[in-house]
Amino acid sequence: MDKKIAVQVDDLTVAYNYKPVLWDIDLEIPEGVLMAIVGPNGAGKSTLIKSILGILKPIAGSVSIYGKPYDEQRKLVAYVPQKGSVDWDFPTTALDVVMMGTYGSLGWIKRPKQKEKKAALEALEKVGMLPFKNRQISQLSGGQQQRIFLARALVQNAAIYFMDEPFQGVDASTEIAIINILKALRKAGKTVIVVHHDLQTVPEYFDWVTFLNVKKIATGPVKDIFNDDNLTKTYGINYKVSIQE
Amino acid sequence: MNSAQIEIQLIASLVAIACAIPGTFLVLRKMAMISDAISHSILPGIVIGFFITHDLNSPLLILLAALTGIITVVLVEYIQKTGLVKEDTAIGLVFPALFSIGVILIAKNANDVHLDVDAVLLGELAFAPFDRLIISGTDFGPKSLWIISSILIITVVLLITFFKELKVSTFDKGLAASLGFSPAIMHYGLMSVSSVTTVGAFDAVGAILVVALMIAPAATAYLLTTDLKKMLLMAIGFGVLSAISGYWFAHWLDASIAGSITTMLGLIFLLVYLFAPSKGVIAVMYREKQQRTEVSLLTFLLHLKNHNEERERHVNHLQEHINWQKVRAKSVLDLALKNNMIEIDNNLVSLTKKGDAFTSKAIDYIITNEDAQIEDMKDDFFLFRG
Repeated sequence: MDKKIAVQVDDLTVAYNYKPVLWDIDLEIPEGVLMAIVGPNGAGKSTLIKSILGILKPIAGSVSIYGKPYDEQRKLVAYVPQKGSVDWDFPTTALDVVMMGTYGSLGWIKRPKQKEKKAALEALEKVGMLPFKNRQISQLSGGQQQRIFLARALVQNAAIYFMDEPFQGVDASTEIAIINILKALRKAGKTVIVVHHDLQTVPEYFDWVTFLNVKKIATGPVKDIFNDDNLTKTYGINYKVSIQE
Repeated sequence: MNSAQIEIQLIASLVAIACAIPGTFLVLRKMAMISDAISHSILPGIVIGFFITHDLNSPLLILLAALTGIITVVLVEYIQKTGLVKEDTAIGLVFPALFSIGVILIAKNANDVHLDVDAVLLGELAFAPFDRLIISGTDFGPKSLWIISSILIITVVLLITFFKELKVSTFDKGLAASLGFSPAIMHYGLMSVSSVTTVGAFDAVGAILVVALMIAPAATAYLLTTDLKKMLLMAIGFGVLSAISGYWFAHWLDASIAGSITTMLGLIFLLVYLFAPSKGVIAVMYREKQQRTEVSLLTFLLHLKNHNEERERHVNHLQEHINWQKVRAKSVLDLALKNNMIEIDNNLVSLTKKGDAFTSKAIDYIITNEDAQIEDMKDDFFLFRG
């Protein structure tokens, strides 16, 4: 394969209280893919993303972004945490949350200026949330909150996007809006990595997939490896039966 | 007002401002109880510092005591991380242990230490003007005024410098970490400021009031605004208001200043809790009542839309059919009339064009949850304000 490797994970092991939740993960994510990470609850999907982003400290292994450690490549990476990970009663507006996406390129101490505000407004426009820019964030619906998070990642103008369950608790129209934006990102040559729960939509939404259950089960193009064999290995026996119920 | 009175009010106000700033972030981080822990567990630090310096206002004592505050936070986190007990339990274990060490140290050395437990818990603001900063014969005012001013200046400079970092790490730790703003640095920075402020305010207002001054103004402001900067300013305002009104309340009652300030903090919170325009208890009750009426209105309009038969649309029929009591049926009918959504002809109710359009739109919204198209209805109806 002559494609560039956007994210490389070597021998990554992560533990909570000495109990490994990720065992010896090796993973190469080529540039320009729209990849789903799938696996059962507790498989370590969010943990994998957080370890790549340096939010969690692994007990072994290393991660590189375009060949260099994450610390040196921060500005190439945008992150959308799970919607439930923040307090939506926080006293702030939609625009202000999106502005937070610009903080990374500003660095310590420097304040956002007109330029940052303009970028944030453009990102709000892209996700169809411009009319809500001054709305307090608790006054937004679940789908709107997720769009705000997406806009915050867009404003970072990164090369690689990590998203933790962006489709959780959103309505159908928001799901379509989000996936269209993700596909547009891929078209623009960006790499997008999404923790995903709904297996039915994997072939439709993604072109790359990683099966994860504490260990890496498989990774590759959806058309080659998204099959019963890997699903069964990841989710346990009789997987096919349960999905048809 | 004599100069001692002015000095006391000035000290109380500066303490209130210095407390409100870290307090706002503690409230937003759901860490209000940690300030209680810090305010108690700095006691051994103060006592040991006093043994060494023999001066309650020495900077060394403040640093030592603030260090005990940080140790408290570290211990709480360490115990919590073992996963054996939850955070509130860990707090409940750590601070009484440290506080009691302080109490024993005071009791064992009662002859050498001019500290007593009452003063530690409640402080004695009235005595603050007596301990003065005198340099080569010139009186520069009360020492505690200088201490709290220095702490306040440091706090304000840190707040302005790191406002953006504090905001993002408070709202979204994960994002802050991924952007390179270490949440640990912000956390311990905030804890250090809280500890130093607590020690600086401790002598003047005591352990219990420090907690009240950190938490109550921020909690009050939280009910009134949806903007972090305004919340900070309001918290400061409520703190100062309580400090000054509390002083005069104490003056009038001839009672403890610290106790009176705390009472004022509680009263102001209570008033805002009841009467805040959108989050207050009364506003919430009113909104719920309006929403009930609006749901009834919508039910009624939908009923009209679905039925063309005359007997279904007769005024008197509504009570029997939709099963509403007379009063409610009347108030819904009135509301619909007032908004030109229905017309009544010969006691037969029918939808107007406006009513028909409104009903379709509202039902569409309830089914699809598509927010954008009902934006214009939000001003008139609580139901659509989410």
